[in-house]
Amino acid sequence: MSGYIAFVKKEFTENMKNYRFLIMFAVFLIFGITSAFLAKFTPEILSALAADMEMSPEPVALDAWKQFYKNISGVGFSAFIILYGSCLSGEYSKGTLVLMVTKGLSRKAVILAKYTIAAILMTISYWVSYAATYGYTAFLWQDASLPNVALAALALWIAGFLYLSILMIGCVIFRQTFTSILFTGGIVAVISLLGIIEPIAKFSPFILTTKNIDLISGEITLSDFMIPAVVSIVISILGLLLAIRLFNKKQL
Amino acid sequence: MNVLRVENLSKSFGNQKIIDNLNLSVPEGSVFGFIGQNGAGKTTTMKMVLGLLQPDNGEIYVCNEPVSFGQTKTNQFIGYLPDVPEFYNYMTSMQYLRLCGEVIGVSKAEIEQRGDELLTLVGLNGVSKKIGGFSRGMKQRLGIAQALLTQPKLLICDEPTSALDPVGRKEILDILRKISKTTTVLFSTHILSDVERICDRVAFLNGGKIAICGTLAEIKALHGHDSLLLEFSANSELQMFRKQEAIKPFLPDSEENNREIILHSRDIKKVQHVLFRVFTETGLCPAKMEIMEPSLESLFLEVIK
Repeated sequence: MSGYIAFVKKEFTENMKNYRFLIMFAVFLIFGITSAFLAKFTPEILSALAADMEMSPEPVALDAWKQFYKNISGVGFSAFIILYGSCLSGEYSKGTLVLMVTKGLSRKAVILAKYTIAAILMTISYWVSYAATYGYTAFLWQDASLPNVALAALALWIAGFLYLSILMIGCVIFRQTFTSILFTGGIVAVISLLGIIEPIAKFSPFILTTKNIDLISGEITLSDFMIPAVVSIVISILGLLLAIRLFNKKQL
Repeated sequence: MNVLRVENLSKSFGNQKIIDNLNLSVPEGSVFGFIGQNGAGKTTTMKMVLGLLQPDNGEIYVCNEPVSFGQTKTNQFIGYLPDVPEFYNYMTSMQYLRLCGEVIGVSKAEIEQRGDELLTLVGLNGVSKKIGGFSRGMKQRLGIAQALLTQPKLLICDEPTSALDPVGRKEILDILRKISKTTTVLFSTHILSDVERICDRVAFLNGGKIAICGTLAEIKALHGHDSLLLEFSANSELQMFRKQEAIKPFLPDSEENNREIILHSRDIKKVQHVLFRVFTETGLCPAKMEIMEPSLESLFLEVIK
């Protein structure tokens, strides 16, 4: 336990010193702030540039959330995966972990500490980004009231842990950052492909990242999210356990 | 008591057998030199002792407790210094030692005190620079400090001096000698002068096995023949010396160089007796006479042949 706490502290410092947290926070915050503005002003900008272009209908608050989910689930989480793809490969290639492990730091503590800090920093970045979108949307569309906004965001946040678990497995198996990221991308692609197949589509965690807008607009209900959320959490936990198991057998 | 005992250890990488049925014991209190060529399997053996690599076969005991791959309790007895130790560059040495101390689970006050002592021992006290700016020698010294933080019974150093300049090397060897009073040191290297400087026991690793093992004196006595060097003040004296009947039996085994001659024999005392008789009879007087110790280098070359 003392090893875990010590390593969590070390991970936190490291993420601050190497700007990993700063970059991720900035990416998420920029998308959080710009989502509402882009939704509001894109039609105006376009019409100013091309006067004879056919105008899309007047933007609504839902468009701001469309921007948010498009950007965060795409670019935001990609940045997260790319930034944390090097969380173990750096330690492998330099050999810094060897000294820690030979001091009796359990391998489980290494993985858990890395997971904990990545999850905390992702959570902070994500919800700050959410708050920014929420604030600016409320400011730009003062009379709009949308249901389930927070719950839709919760769904994508749950999927964030799934991404992280898959990334951890990749980082444990592969010694290179690039292959870890590629592995994560591959598995995520497989999950989204499985999400198309009809009989299992409604259980797929893929829903958590693609149907958020439908939940806000009321096209689907909250109950449609329940099973995918549970599936996602279960896979995340199993993935983390698998990563620990694999790491225990890893020759350092 | 043996701090480290290795029994019938084997390890292959792919088709290549690196360690082949290796047996080794390191007695408590010794400074043990583990000698072998590059790629002989020194690092592999050490990593197996630390539970970082899985042996194909065999048993390893540290302080009579078996080593198991992955999580091994025996690491609490061991301090490890890898060949090129790497730390977290953004930390200072004291911050790094604090992290190590927290991982081991030592109290804060104790970490501060021990950290201070160790940094003084390795000459890094008062260095406030981040580790990223350290030279290799400094990293090596910090490596020793972190390895000793656990107050280990056994310190394993993997080629601690290989990458260092003469000053850095001397510093590391001095530190190792200093700590050898309280800690058993296992020290792998292919630099033989280092071994002669600080080790009292050695083992030569060759072909995945221990080729010779014992105290330095034992090994020198067992292997390699004794030699005697004679230097004359002029070449003519040397030629006259060579013509003596009593000397002739030794000549086929000798090496000659300008005014010097080196005689080899298993019984060096007998050679000395003969020489003194020749000197009194002929009135010849060498400028220098020296019994040459067999060098580890010649032993090493003999072993790997």
